[in-house]
Amino acid sequence: MALVRSLRARVVLWVSVALIVLFAFTIVGLDLAFRQSIDQALLEVLEAHVDGLVAAAESDPSGELTMPVGNLDPEFQVANSGMFGAVFDPDGRAIWQSLSLIGRDFPADELPAPGKKHYAKLDVPGFPPLEALLMGTEWEFANKRTAPYTFAIAVSLEPYERRESAFRRNLIAWFGGITLTMLVVIGGLLTFVLLPLRRLERQVREVEAGERVSLTGNYPTELVGLADNLNALIETERRRLERYRHTIDDLAHALKTPLAAMRTLLTELHGKDKAHPEPQVDSLERELERMDQRVSYQLRRARASGATGLGTEPVAVAPIVDDLKLTLDKVYRDKRVACSLDVAPGTLFRGDPGDLTEILGNLMDNAYKYCKSKVCVAGDSNAERLSIRVGDDGRGIGAELAQELGQRGKRADESVPGQGIGLAVVRETVELYRGTLSVGHSELGGAEIRIELARAGAL
Amino acid sequence: MRVLLVEDDQTLNQSLATQLEKAGYAVDRAEDGREGLYYAQEYPIDLAIVDLGLPSISGVELIKQVRADGKAYPILVLTARDRWQDKVEALKLGADDYVVKPFHVEELLARVDALLRRASGWAQSELVCGPILLDTRTQEVKVKGEKLELTSFEYKLLEYLMLHAGEVLSKTQITEALYEEDFERDSNVIEVFIGRLRKKLDPQSEYKPIETLRGRGYRLAIARGTPDPA
Repeated sequence: MALVRSLRARVVLWVSVALIVLFAFTIVGLDLAFRQSIDQALLEVLEAHVDGLVAAAESDPSGELTMPVGNLDPEFQVANSGMFGAVFDPDGRAIWQSLSLIGRDFPADELPAPGKKHYAKLDVPGFPPLEALLMGTEWEFANKRTAPYTFAIAVSLEPYERRESAFRRNLIAWFGGITLTMLVVIGGLLTFVLLPLRRLERQVREVEAGERVSLTGNYPTELVGLADNLNALIETERRRLERYRHTIDDLAHALKTPLAAMRTLLTELHGKDKAHPEPQVDSLERELERMDQRVSYQLRRARASGATGLGTEPVAVAPIVDDLKLTLDKVYRDKRVACSLDVAPGTLFRGDPGDLTEILGNLMDNAYKYCKSKVCVAGDSNAERLSIRVGDDGRGIGAELAQELGQRGKRADESVPGQGIGLAVVRETVELYRGTLSVGHSELGGAEIRIELARAGAL
Repeated sequence: MRVLLVEDDQTLNQSLATQLEKAGYAVDRAEDGREGLYYAQEYPIDLAIVDLGLPSISGVELIKQVRADGKAYPILVLTARDRWQDKVEALKLGADDYVVKPFHVEELLARVDALLRRASGWAQSELVCGPILLDTRTQEVKVKGEKLELTSFEYKLLEYLMLHAGEVLSKTQITEALYEEDFERDSNVIEVFIGRLRKKLDPQSEYKPIETLRGRGYRLAIARGTPDPA
């Protein structure tokens, strides 16, 4: 049953199996009981008719047994009525046979001894299936002479069989109807009972997609524990991420401040004798540079949370772009960059706000850095995707770097410093959201970086 | 120019202060947020360099309080975290620029220089007052196109005067901007340097660039050659 995933399907399946087994036993039982009662009735009919024959027989004055037609059941007189009778003399010759036999011989296989009854199921060509009773009697004549006679009755089973199959058909129709009705009722009931589970499932999906902070609403007693535990899990995950980021930040501080100190000290060493720079100092500076590159890249990578936007609400893109514009306008004040924003109202990012700020910050910073005087940021989103374009009027991005950026999953710590590292981190963050980054030409004349982000949790 | 440096790492604080002093700035040093805030509020500083990850009072809090206090001098933020959210927050609260650790000293000095220039209303790295041209990038001074040899102190003094061209600058102001706190204030060193600078800038006494206003101080009397509207 591992294949049956749906709870409802499971219940419906098992209930129908149980009903079918139960009803099969019931049908067989009822059928047997019905059959028995029919058999009993048949025997009674046979015995009554044999008794009737015996009662109708008369001894005639010649010392022979006769069957006056007037005393007999009219059914014996109708052709093929399904009721046949006969009386056999001691020699086994039929002294009377009913008209219903229309000239055929009564299909007697053997005659019982006097005082015995012989029941038989007869299947004789030319006759319907028959149930027969042959009764041997010692007939006493008026002159005290006795002779053994056999009275025989055969009744067609056809009407009984017809009744039986009609009964069976009715039985199956009723039970079939009851089974179907019960399955429909159970199905409906399950839909109703499972409604809270569906709501739970939907809410979990929304939490995963960053559209909901926690599970809310009244859940039935059986699910309250589950919902609470899930909420606790979401909260733990969110805290864990927070703690993780704090650790990364502390690590950044702990690593980079000494690096900064070392670099400043090296500058001091350099400054002492400008005419004869120490080669070791140069080497040290290069090593420091490499350390810085690696550390920066790894820390920035580590901080991107990617698809684990658990417990966060959708982030409006426009305010982040506005803040970044203010920041960069201040930093690049001397350059007097004209930055135009075209972020559609209601543009939402479903994920971690820090990740979005990193992506946009790096892209916009690059644009400000490499533009001549114009930068343009545009964005829009629908339920599934967020699309952002950052363009400038600079010289554009070299074909080599553009191609490298297009390669998915390529580690960037070996790529060119400066523009490379920021964009590499952007690309990796974008990939965490199963998004894409592409480099194109901006209407402004320079490069345009386009990113497409799927919402967290969406495939 | 007087610079406040708030950085909790002693080594970095020490060596950065040395480099700043060598570049001609008077440096006040603080190693935690509380001390930094005290200097920032009480001392006549021209620029503050503030690390964001400070003990006792965070860098962000310090910037907030300094701005709430109405101090308008430029603030340069040092950050190890290199996180755009931090940069945005710091600049929104009133910082003017940021440098990510580990930085090149030259870059930091260039940023400091640019901030000070901007704060005095100059947009370019070249300051021009009449025939005097001072390039803050190369630290060269030319008068009527002729290169002038100045000592480091003379250069700083001229830069200070040019950044505040047209303003009256008291001896105390000049001393505080160019020397550290424990400098002997009533010495006549400033007078001596002003005299030397006058001789170098205007040996024939043609246009008398530096005015002495008795009892009040000095003023660079030539208007800016390329005034910056911003």
